[in-house]
Amino acid sequence: MIETLHYPDVVQWAVPLFVIAILAEIIWIIIRKRGGRYETRDALTSLVMGAGNIAIGIAMGFIAWGFFMLLWNITPLDLGSAWWVVLLCFVLDDLRYYWVHRFGHRVRWVWASHVNHHSSQHYNLTTALRQTWTGTFTLMMIVRAPLILLGFHPAMIVFVGGLNLIYQFWIHTEAIAKMPRWFESVMNTPSHHRVHHGRNARYLDANYAGVFIIWDKMFGTFVPELDEEKPDYGLVYNLGTFNPLRVAFHEWVGLFRDVFQSGLTLKERFKYAFAPPGYSHDGSRDTSETIKAKHLIRNPSDKGTPGFD
Amino acid sequence: MPLAILLILVAGGISGLAVLLHILGKSKPVILTNDSARAAWLRLFPDEPVTDVTVANTGHAALIRTTNGPGLVWSFGVDTVARPLTDVKITETKKRLKIQFGDFTAPKAVVTLNETERADWRQKMAQT
Repeated sequence: MIETLHYPDVVQWAVPLFVIAILAEIIWIIIRKRGGRYETRDALTSLVMGAGNIAIGIAMGFIAWGFFMLLWNITPLDLGSAWWVVLLCFVLDDLRYYWVHRFGHRVRWVWASHVNHHSSQHYNLTTALRQTWTGTFTLMMIVRAPLILLGFHPAMIVFVGGLNLIYQFWIHTEAIAKMPRWFESVMNTPSHHRVHHGRNARYLDANYAGVFIIWDKMFGTFVPELDEEKPDYGLVYNLGTFNPLRVAFHEWVGLFRDVFQSGLTLKERFKYAFAPPGYSHDGSRDTSETIKAKHLIRNPSDKGTPGFD
Repeated sequence: MPLAILLILVAGGISGLAVLLHILGKSKPVILTNDSARAAWLRLFPDEPVTDVTVANTGHAALIRTTNGPGLVWSFGVDTVARPLTDVKITETKKRLKIQFGDFTAPKAVVTLNETERADWRQKMAQT
């Protein structure tokens, strides 16, 4: 069994690339007068969120790592470190990402962490860096357990996870309309991911893919970007603050306020924490299902079109 | 990567990009019109039809009246945010109305209004 395996921390090494790419996108938008929008405080908030994510990763990474090594010491399987194992690990970890991301939109406990990534009303390369500070608390590291138990070394899993994150950086742009058809059919692209960031009723809860869009096509969550309906970015109920602390923790505050309000049954408290975002015990709030249903009442001709199947 | 270099890269990158965007004029708030304020309200509250819109002279905020009560749309950078004006604390100063929402996601909005506007807004908020 491999005792130690070392890979570079690719996300940290990618930081200069992130800065250069953002500069290039800004210049592109200025020269072409199209391809996206920037706003100083919005971008600054996104960048601070990204820096905080890296800092918390350094400070709290030992928790996930300790859990992974515990599993590694238990499993009798070891697939080694051949290139094809790394490739297989990358693909399977992307499947893992799809499900964690789907939970991130369908389970409020996980959404409380992920919501900040969707909190910008902009969609540019800085939005990609608007990452969570509270991922560790969701315990979604558990979803990586099967990979380790199958014999993929934890260092390899962290490495391919970093590559996955870097891949997703470039798709947060409006500067690229569509990639070649073959690429759009297999890979996650700016077009597919713009849909994911749309707050339009049509685009809610769609395109959870990290690298390969095939997972959405396999599991029935794929919605194409329509020329006639541009994504409207942000949250259903947009934030009125650029304060990174409020951005990072607002949904946790809301969740705990809901869970601990008086007069609820235990089941209702549980649902406030783990049901899909928008759940309320008295039906006073909207989930993505009710938002879509209300949209169809206002726009019945949309029934049966993508996103309203 | 050595932590010191990472820190320099991150701090330098963030501040450099922020300064660049500011110099490029990307810090200017959006100016609202009657139509854009109405659209901004309906964007967040599509089930609450707007009955009346009063845009502040600065163009940075608009008082919205709906069948469900008053609301506020205000410029949020080049974008907008909207909130109902229910359970709010309003503090009036010489040139502004400071509206505290008691909402962790939008703690406050400061609306610049002249004396005439402030009286008009106060009256309209009381009517709805």
